[in-house]
Amino acid sequence: MPSLLAAMLLLAACGNGEDTATGNGDIPDGPTIEIRGQDFSEAITLAEVYAQYLESLGYPVDIQTPAGFRVEAISDLEAGTLNMIVDYIGGSQAQLAPDSEPSSDPDEVMEVIRDAYADIDATVLDYTPAVDGDAFVVRGDLEAETISDVADMGLVLGASAQCFERPQCFIGFTEVYGIEFADTQTIEFGPILGEALAAEEVDAVVWNDTAPQIEEFGFKVLEDDLGIFPAQNIAPILANELIEAYGDDLVDAINELSAMITTDDLLAWNFETDIEFRESDDVAREWLEEQGLL
Amino acid sequence: MILVTQRNPVLRWSYFGEQWDRIQAAIGEHLFLTLTPVAIGFILSAVLAGIGLRYRWTVGPITLFAAFLYTIPSVAFFGILRTTPLGLSIYTVLIPLTAFTILILVTNILDGFRAVPAPVREAADAMGLSPVRRLFTVEVPVAVPYMINGLRIATVTLVGLVAVAGIVGRGGLGNLIMEGIRRQFWTPLTIGALLSIVLAITLDLLFFLLGRWLTPWARTARS
Amino acid sequence: MSLVLGQRAIPRDTTLWEWFTDPVTWTGSGGILVSLGDTVALCAAVIVASAILAVPVSAYLAHRRLAQVTSAWLVNIGRALPTFAVAALLVPISLRGGYGFEPWPIFIALTLLTVPPMFLSTYVAVKEVDEAAVNAARAMGFTERAVLLSVELPLASTVIFTGLRVAAVQVVATEPIRAFLGGDGLGRYIRDGIGQNNATLTVGGTFLIAALAGLTGITLTAIERLAKPYGVRRLRADRSSRPGETDEVDVTDVAEPAGSHAAAGRLR
Repeated sequence: MPSLLAAMLLLAACGNGEDTATGNGDIPDGPTIEIRGQDFSEAITLAEVYAQYLESLGYPVDIQTPAGFRVEAISDLEAGTLNMIVDYIGGSQAQLAPDSEPSSDPDEVMEVIRDAYADIDATVLDYTPAVDGDAFVVRGDLEAETISDVADMGLVLGASAQCFERPQCFIGFTEVYGIEFADTQTIEFGPILGEALAAEEVDAVVWNDTAPQIEEFGFKVLEDDLGIFPAQNIAPILANELIEAYGDDLVDAINELSAMITTDDLLAWNFETDIEFRESDDVAREWLEEQGLL
Repeated sequence: MILVTQRNPVLRWSYFGEQWDRIQAAIGEHLFLTLTPVAIGFILSAVLAGIGLRYRWTVGPITLFAAFLYTIPSVAFFGILRTTPLGLSIYTVLIPLTAFTILILVTNILDGFRAVPAPVREAADAMGLSPVRRLFTVEVPVAVPYMINGLRIATVTLVGLVAVAGIVGRGGLGNLIMEGIRRQFWTPLTIGALLSIVLAITLDLLFFLLGRWLTPWARTARS
Repeated sequence: MSLVLGQRAIPRDTTLWEWFTDPVTWTGSGGILVSLGDTVALCAAVIVASAILAVPVSAYLAHRRLAQVTSAWLVNIGRALPTFAVAALLVPISLRGGYGFEPWPIFIALTLLTVPPMFLSTYVAVKEVDEAAVNAARAMGFTERAVLLSVELPLASTVIFTGLRVAAVQVVATEPIRAFLGGDGLGRYIRDGIGQNNATLTVGGTFLIAALAGLTGITLTAIERLAKPYGVRRLRADRSSRPGETDEVDVTDVAEPAGSHAAAGRLR
């Protein structure tokens, strides 16, 4: 028994030794950064980009298996199973402060969500120049340029279940734009929206404008002329425990990375993952290498 | 526009090599998520069956309750638990999966003990075996094939249900299937589906062999 | 418009009771009544199709004692087939072919789910028919066809029907995946509840499906009792009147679903 105990202590000691050995000398001890992508390619690539970048700087990072969407990300951030999430700011606003006024100005959105995240002991860092806006997508041959143009066309709308309860989505289409849809169909968010549109099961879908299939299929995005879609820049959100442990170095490093991510990058990543069917971790690593960050 | 293209074939073989770590982890998780609920479910079912055999009137309510658990759609069971404090934790998956095994296991265990012919039981009593010895030396051996059978059905069923748990990101090979659906990328979907079939058949075969090993008399009797 | 909305989304603080008692919940194109009809129609179609596909072939093979190992393996593979994956793979194929989201992908996937257990219970039931009865019929000059149709099938009918009942309950409990693949039916409430993070919808939808599955089981059990061939009923009555076996008989009803499962093992 004593020898077993000694062996275990020795093992534990070795484990500790290894931890500090692999850690960068400049980085103080602190909790492992727990991050997880939401369950669609762009979000997974984003999580990989932030995670691999922070790992290369010497922070302890654990990339969890992608799962769930915004709801789970935020509730796990609150519960402490995650301490870093990456989200679309307009989406965060709709989730955390559903009664606040949606805005297409990112700074106004940030003002709302900064407080909302502070309430759950988290801090929103700078948003990216990259925007993955909501998009009202129709087939290329539809004679319309703006969402207003389709108000009395009697279209069939396909969208995810979330859309139907949101003023920034279905409720906005019907109440702000006064659109009368002939019918609606609930379709899980993702490429299947494009399949449904191409197969003429529906005439319009609510998608995101960085979906590479929009170009591949020859669809077009209608202009949100009455401005119901919120600003959807991307922002990393950190649990305060991380900022307390790692200080401004971590915040500055993340902000530096966020400033480099553009909408074109998102489009390029999504083309790689969802048209070329390459994996998010590879795509993320290559991009970081191109930027000279790895 | 073409469904199966060179970029998106039904199965891209190189994926095995490129993503082997993930595939391996998915198989491991799938095994864990299948066998743990089967083991827990077996213990619970044995207790429930014991109660049922001791107090006859409880058999109806126990079976009814187990049958009710079995009617809950798995997507909904996972979906409800993910909104509780359990969130996306492993328990959100383990609890429903365990619940689904109970109907299959309880009914098979009960059948096993009912299959003990009354004369055999009486003979054991006549030989002066205590109830405990009678249970382990006479009744359990008769019931073993039924228990093994229940375990086989529960295991094969669970391999399929674990895949559904991919919707909460904890589905082993189901994660690959869900990823394939999400990206409309057929390779992970095909691999996830094929490997879960292989896993089901392998586990079934192992339980079958375990049953043969546990009941050597059954073989000699037949031959 | 608000009518459509009322069915698509409800405030998160709506209680289950309020949801169930609001007439809007029940009526209209997304209401419970229409959804229930969609679900029942699909499930019934699946069960009928599976019975047509599984029972005759299986009964014939069992009668001839053919393909025991092959069918056991096929059934096993079929049982392990992940329904959701099959349906999801078929959806884009159906869309590209111009057949829409429904009903083919989900119909095929659910049929593949039910054929194996029905095939198996039929095979076992026919194979386990008392050899004495079969030999007696042969001795009386029955053709092989008549042996199968007038002796084996009637005697096996109870177990076959039990297999059908178990399969039907399973189909009802699995059908909600349809809503996650662009379809309708009762699963829509679970889908919307999960998507909108609305527990009332998720729990309400689950309750509806569990209730329908339970009701399916109870109804089919009742039909099973009523429709039991007269001779088989008399046979049972004879047996239960024998001393010493009475208490065995009174529990068989509860044990029946497992009975077919237990029998399943003997085939493999």
